[in-house]
Parts: sequence; structure tokens; C-alpha cells
Amino acid sequence: MDSKKTPFYQKHLQNKGRIVDFSGWALPVEYKSTLAEALAVRKSCGLFDASHMGEIAVRGANAFSFLQRLVSNDLSILNVGQMQYNLFLNESGCIIDDLMIYRMRDSFFCVVNASNKEKVLKWLNENIQSEVEIIDKSMEYSLLSIQGPKAVEVIEKVFDCQGINFEYLSFKEIQIEGEEIIVSRSGYTGEDGFEIYFPWENSSKWWDKLIEEGQNFELKPCGLGSRNILRLEAGYPLYGHEIDDTINPYEASLDWAVKLSKGFVGKNELSKIKDIGAKRKRVGFLMLERAIPRQGYSIHSETGVIGKVSSGTYSSNVGKFIGMAYLDKDYAKIGQEIEIEVRGKLYKATIVKFPFVSIKTKKSKKLKLKT
Amino acid sequence: MPDLKFTKAHEWVKVQGEIATIGITDYAQSQLGDIVFIELPKPGEEIKKSSQFGTIESTKAASELYAPVSGKVIQINDELVNNPERVNESALDKGWIAKVRLEDVAELDSLLDESAYREFIDKEI
Repeated sequence: MDSKKTPFYQKHLQNKGRIVDFSGWALPVEYKSTLAEALAVRKSCGLFDASHMGEIAVRGANAFSFLQRLVSNDLSILNVGQMQYNLFLNESGCIIDDLMIYRMRDSFFCVVNASNKEKVLKWLNENIQSEVEIIDKSMEYSLLSIQGPKAVEVIEKVFDCQGINFEYLSFKEIQIEGEEIIVSRSGYTGEDGFEIYFPWENSSKWWDKLIEEGQNFELKPCGLGSRNILRLEAGYPLYGHEIDDTINPYEASLDWAVKLSKGFVGKNELSKIKDIGAKRKRVGFLMLERAIPRQGYSIHSETGVIGKVSSGTYSSNVGKFIGMAYLDKDYAKIGQEIEIEVRGKLYKATIVKFPFVSIKTKKSKKLKLKT
Repeated sequence: MPDLKFTKAHEWVKVQGEIATIGITDYAQSQLGDIVFIELPKPGEEIKKSSQFGTIESTKAASELYAPVSGKVIQINDELVNNPERVNESALDKGWIAKVRLEDVAELDSLLDESAYREFIDKEI
């Protein structure tokens, strides 16, 4: 099957991106060096093509009550222009998908994982109520993500703006050159940054504009490889690794995104799990010896196998091998020493607190976009 | 370099007398991307042509290292343990992996010379 191409596909080829298939999309895993790209995002800024992400609009008179019943976080605290991390759960309280929900004037804009989009659409439609409309907008919007301490300066240049009041996890719909775009201050790296949704057609010119202005701010095009390192460093879960429809949010250490004060699908099971306590926990670990921990590797203690690696990498920002794992709750403690089996040999590691790097999203510089 | 030979598994061998220095090719390192881990053979270990004698891992994947020749490992490039990126920087020189005392010099005849290897990777691309 041919991978689908984003509007920036030619740009990736021109920049000698190494193209791979990711959830059915042809995307660059890296341009020149994954490690250098991950470093650039924490030092200056990087540009990611995230057009593969699924966008689903939910609108209609009952859109709010419909979604509020299907997500674990509390949508009622969300004002127009704000966005929120959320989870869709099944009846067992396990994770169907994790997503960002943007509250717009007349709809909710749900950004879901590409790999889960069809599953989510089906599930939403199975739960449909009157006065609710579900629209797949994935092919209407491309998405570029610019991340890093200098991202704000590139945005100021490209969108000719400056000033105040554009906080992290907020967004604006703006008109520029006759086009409607959505700019949100958000990302998947733990750095200050912006995600920009463009009308799919003709969006490749925006890549050029960002790259051109970015030249003065050491902007580097970045691939999926560095995106994965950066989200791991920030302690963020990835669907298919840390979360899936057999894992609940308490196990995934996503308690903060579950609000038992409201009703939602999966709540009954989750309430029970909360009382008993999760049997296993998502933790972060640091390798004490050189070895790459990869998904599925067994984790041992003196008593036997106590868990499994969900993701691992070499972190160029930390300068060490890091990873995430699921461990039996008795071992999921900061400072716990573990051993990871890599090709038949055991390598020492220790459980550490998330994140692996300091998160910069709360300290973002004030910015005002022209609306 | 007339004494440089290659395998289809993208290793190179440089022979001086009965000692063969082994590494991975520049093409291999460029395909792997950033190399972050190398499991080296142990000095004294006997390695067998075409069987695995180590592992090399980049940010993308783990790959097995196959011995291009048989023989006893007499020296390994210890520097790679803490600086595996040497292989990216200098695959054919500072990024050498091991030195082996050749068991059977005739094995070298089955390896590719530089132009044959080049032709092979051109087809692979």
C-alpha cells in the first residue's frame, strides 16, 4: 500500500529527509541526524510536519454534553480559545486514544492520533446523540509544529505580531493572506512552541516561510526520530507504546487527566481501580550502563521479571540512555534499581522521576497574534 | 586502496599480513544514522565468517554485525564503547571495530573489491 503524502512531502525530499511509513503516512524519520535535531529543539527551535494527525470536529447543540460524556478530563473548565489534553476511554476504563480538544466558538476540534482516527470516528458514531455532528477534517488541515525556545520569535516574524496574552494551551483562528489558519501554543516536546493548522491545499508555501524566517533563529527541520526522543525526555506517553486499549490512565500515570467528579464512559471501572490501586505503573528510567532499551524488553529484579519496557532511546539532551516502562506497583518507586534484558544480557538501570528535562511550557513569553 | 575488501553485509576488511582490521562501510553508517551503541567481540574470541560477532545500534534500529572473515580477535576498538559516533565520523578509519588474526587467507577471495561493492550498493539504492 502506498503511504499517503502530506503537502510538505516534496520539501522533505528536497531536504534529503529519510522517508518512512508512519501510520500510513510517508514522513521523514530524520533529515541528517536525529540526535542533532533533538538538540536543536531544546537549544533553538525545530520544525515538524505533523499533518498525519487526525482532526475531527464535533458540533451541534449537544456537542458539549456528548463529548463531556466521552472524555475523562473536564471540558466544562475550557473556555473558547483554550485547549485541553484528554482521553477517550472504553467501558473498562482503558484508553481508546489520547487527544487534544480545542474549544472553538461553534465546535470542538479534536486532534487524534493518525493510527487511531478511524477507530475513534467509528466509536464516536456508535455513541452519537441527536443534535451532534461529527466531521472528519483530517484532509482539510495540514499541521506544522515549531518547537523550542526560539519558536516564539519565528512566529512573531512570520505572522507579524508581538505582545501579550497568548498563553500555553490556548489558540487563535486567524485570517492571513485570505486563508483561515489555527495557531495554538502547544506541542509534544516540553518546550515552548506552536502548532499551526493550514488549509491542506497550497500549504507548502508556509513551510518555506517558516524555514526562511527561521534561518535567523537556527531553525532545523526535524523528523519523527527526534520527535520521539523529545517526547520521551518530556515524559509524554505515545499511543501504541505507553498507552493502548488494555491500559488505564492510573496505570499510565495520567491521573491528572481523569476527573471522577463528572460522569463519563469508563468511570465506573476507573473508580474501582482507583480504590484498589493500579497493579502496574508507568515509570521513567535511566540506564546506568550503556544499552538501548527497546519496547518489549523484560525488566528484572532479584525476584524475577517485574515489568516491560514500553519505549527507550538515547537522549542527546540528557546524554544518557533513557526509557519508559510498566512495572509491578511494588517496584514502581523512584530510586528502585532494575535490570533490563537486552539480547540475553542484563543491564542496570534506575527508576527516576519524570520528566528527564525541565519543562518550559509554563514560562512562555507573552505573545499577541493579530486576529 | 587495493587491500580493502567488502562484504554484502556492508563490512570492510583491511589486511596487513595475516591481520585483518574489520569495520562497517561508510554506506552502512549513513544508512544506520546516528550510532549510539556498539557491542564489540571480546579479545581472544574466535569469530566465524558470516556469523554474528557483535551488534550495532542507531537511534533507529539494532543491526547485527557479521564477521567478514574467520579468525581470533586480537584487538578491539575500545574507544567505540563510549564514543560509538566515531563510526559515523570515520567508518573506514577511526571507527574500525576489531582486528582479527586470519584463520584462512583464502576466505578473502570471496570478498568484494571496492568497485564490485560500489556496484552492489548502487543496485541496492
